[in-house]
Parts: sequence; C-alpha cells; structure tokens
Amino acid sequence: METNLLGSLSNQLADAVERIGASLVTVNGRERQSATGVVFAPGMVLTADHVLERDDNLTVAGADGVAHPAVLVGRDSSTDLAVLKVADLTLAAATVAAPARVGQLAVAVGRPSAEGLMASLGVVSAVGGPLKVGRGAQLEKYIRTDATPYPGFSGGPLTDATGALLGIITTGLTRGEPIAIPVELAIGVASALQQQGSVKRGFLGVVSQQVKLPANLRTAEKERGLLIVKVEDNSPAEQGGLLVGDTVTALDGHSVADADDLLGLLVGDRVGRAVTINIIRGGVATTTQVTVGQRN
Amino acid sequence: MSNFISALAASSAVEDTVNRLRPAVTQVTTSGSGVGTGIILTHTGQVLTNAHVVADGRGIRRNVAVVLSDQRTFPARVVRIQPDYDLALLQIDANDLPVATLGDSRRLRVGELVFAIGNPWGRINVVTSGIVSGVGVRLAPETLASSQDKRIMIPYIRSDVRLAPGNSGGPLLNACGQVVGINAMIWGGDLSIAIPSATASAWLTEPEARPAGTPVSDKLFAW
Repeated sequence: METNLLGSLSNQLADAVERIGASLVTVNGRERQSATGVVFAPGMVLTADHVLERDDNLTVAGADGVAHPAVLVGRDSSTDLAVLKVADLTLAAATVAAPARVGQLAVAVGRPSAEGLMASLGVVSAVGGPLKVGRGAQLEKYIRTDATPYPGFSGGPLTDATGALLGIITTGLTRGEPIAIPVELAIGVASALQQQGSVKRGFLGVVSQQVKLPANLRTAEKERGLLIVKVEDNSPAEQGGLLVGDTVTALDGHSVADADDLLGLLVGDRVGRAVTINIIRGGVATTTQVTVGQRN
Repeated sequence: MSNFISALAASSAVEDTVNRLRPAVTQVTTSGSGVGTGIILTHTGQVLTNAHVVADGRGIRRNVAVVLSDQRTFPARVVRIQPDYDLALLQIDANDLPVATLGDSRRLRVGELVFAIGNPWGRINVVTSGIVSGVGVRLAPETLASSQDKRIMIPYIRSDVRLAPGNSGGPLLNACGQVVGINAMIWGGDLSIAIPSATASAWLTEPEARPAGTPVSDKLFAW
C-alpha cells in the first residue's frame, strides 16, 4: 500500500520529466557545453542569452538528435533570455504552470546533449525580486530552487510536479547560483523579442534619492517618495517639465517609493509613451506628463 | 483524477521502504582505510560492495570485515572482484541473514524517486534521497581499468542523491524498495553515480573463468 503510494509519486515525477522532455531541445550556440531550450510556441524556442556565444550557425536538436538550423529572433541580457525560430521543428509547446509557490516540488530538466534528458529534484526555495542584474537593469521577479543545475541546464525549464513550466533556469545572472525566470515574465520578454528583437527599457534622465513625504501628504501606505536631485539636459524629464526639488510619488498610476519601483515601471509599452507622473512640488501634490525615453 | 497523494503518507512510505531494507545493509571495513557499505545478497553470507572499498592498486586490502546492522562483525573473504564495474563479492561465515533483492534497473526512468542507504564519512546508516538524473554508458576510467588497453564501457545511473565517501558499495533503492543500483561515486566531483543492478546481476551470474577487465556479455550493456 505505502509502496504503491511512493511508486505512484515516483511515476508521476518520471511522467513530468517525460512530458516536459517532449518540448525540450539541445541548443548548440557555443564552443564548449551545449545548453537546453524550451519550445513555447510552434517553432519557437526560449533559451538563455548567455549560452549563445554567436548569432549565426545556431542549431537545435530534439530527442531524435537531428540538428535543425535556428535563427536568433532576439536576445535580452538583463533577463538572460533569447528566442530562436526553428522552421521545421514540430515539437509540442510546453504547458505553462500556475505561478510558483515557495515549498512546492520543482523539477529541473535539461537536454544538455544527445545522451538524453537529465533531471534533478528540489523545491521552490524562494520567489523574490526585484533583483539587480547589472547595467542598471533589474529582474522584477525570480524563482530560487535547490534543484541541482547540471552543466547544460541553462535555458531549460524548472517545472512543477506535472511537468508544467514554472520558469527558465539560468546560472548566468547570479554568478553560477541557479535561478529561474518566472514563465509569465519569460513569455512577456519572448513576445517583446518577437515583436522588436529587443526589450525596450525606458529612462527619464533624473538622479533621485528616497525621502520621507511631508507630514500632511504622508499616509500609512505611502510614506516615501523619490526626490529629484538632478535633471539631465535634453532628457525626457526636462522636456516633461520635471524640476530639481520635485518629489515623485507615482508614475502611470503606480506608486513610486524608491528607485527600484521607478526602474521597474520604465519598461514595456510605457517606453516612448507620454505617462502621468505624480509629484509633490512646493508642498502641493500635482501631476506632469513625461514621454519616457528609450535607452539603447 | 486519482493523483492526490498525502504528503504525510508519502513521508511515512519513505520511512517504511527504507526501514525494510536497512537490516540487509552493512558496513565494510579494512585495515588502514575508511568504512564502506555492503549489501547482503544471500541468507548464507554473500555481500556485494565496491571493488575500491576492499582493494586498491596494490591488491586486496588486509582485514576485510563486514559489520551487520546488529553490530556483529565477521571477517570477510573477497571471492570475486571486477574493478571496471567497481564491484566485489564478499563471503562471510554467517547464516539466516536478512537479504536485499536486486531489482531491474533497465526499467528506470529519468525522474524516478531513488534513495541511498550508507555510511557517508563513517556515519552509520544514513539515508539520502533524490531522483534519477540520467542513465548512460561511459568508458571506464583509467584509474579503475584493470588493463589500460582494454578499457570497457560501463553503464551507470546518475542521480541527485547526496553521496559521500562511505556510501560506496551501498544500495540505491527505487520507490518500491528494490535495489536498482550500487553506489560507486567513482568519477569524482559531486556526481552521484551508481552501477545499475542489471550490470551487477549479469556479473554475478556470468562464469568466473575469464581475466578481470574483459567484457564477456552483452547483458552487461543493457541500456
């Protein structure tokens, strides 16, 4: 009885590996260790940016080991994600899991070589964010796991116990420690890469520091804002009329209490668009419109 | 869906599975070397372990002994040894012993639950768990090959089960409590490697009359 129960759990885990395995390819994009990629839409493969050391001569291979030429659609170093298009790839797209919960079983799966699938088991150790990942960029959300990332697992999936995709594993953002980019974020980056080949990151052109709001404008939920201490010449902020001494409290309807909040908001379709910024100027709450600039 | 599994029940199922096998797991000791692990195969005292637990480059170590789970200690004779597969068969002078049965490793799937019982760093009877990470075949390392020109292919099971020196020779169990591998940890690094039970079974049943290190049977390459 107990044996059946454990056997059943064991079989389900092996089924999970098999299920996600049907959507996994080996990605050949660098000299040494090849990596893993996940089919997320027909003919489209998500993998890690850092495992592609070249832009051309890329190939992917599924379980049958047949190499298919792959075209680099786009790459984003700040999330360590890249999208490949493979014309004649007929593998099924991976199933997407519900958002990761701390403590749930997590399976790391890879197809590091023609030798076949590999897997390791752990749990979702933490769901955190934002995480600074260098060059002023940050990851809004990430998953930590204690599942072992074998060589060649970067770009591959972290799945739940049914083989549904929780995130894309990378050891490239955190000096070797494995994290997974949550699937909803990864798919968002992938669609941006499919549309424009890169992920738009916006900027205002201000230097700011966190301050306590004036007593009459402070609430329990909203105690702090961002005091502008410098406005760059010819910047979107200057053109939008932001002044040194203004305190930013919100952007496009989202509260801003520190620089991470602001950075997290200057992405996606806000880039290049006029957004409303709530500020406190001379002790009075007011608003101004700023067109978010695009950083190259 | 009949997929619902109580975590508490699963947890005690692990306990039961491991405890059933525990009496058939031994320590293997020698002069001037750390403790290894052994698996009792017959009621009449055959114990399977790793070759490197009982031998080194100079030959069989002195004073090979088996310590049972009830703490009785028996001197052991090395009756067969195969360094390429890192396997050795010991005989102790005892009867009515609890035994482990070798399961069929050929059915193992990547992702299956596995458990190890052993004596890592000399700590007795430690259980560790994980899943099958991969199965494969690779060339025998030169350090273990009994003949450098005749290095052979060795099937292996890789898992994410934590192993340490002292686990060597101990069982890797599947969720049904069958021995599917003999932990070997022979390729260094942090890789947990086990010799598949199918390889061990084939070696145990093959005729002995052959020089160590020569491949004799296709059965040994069951992957």
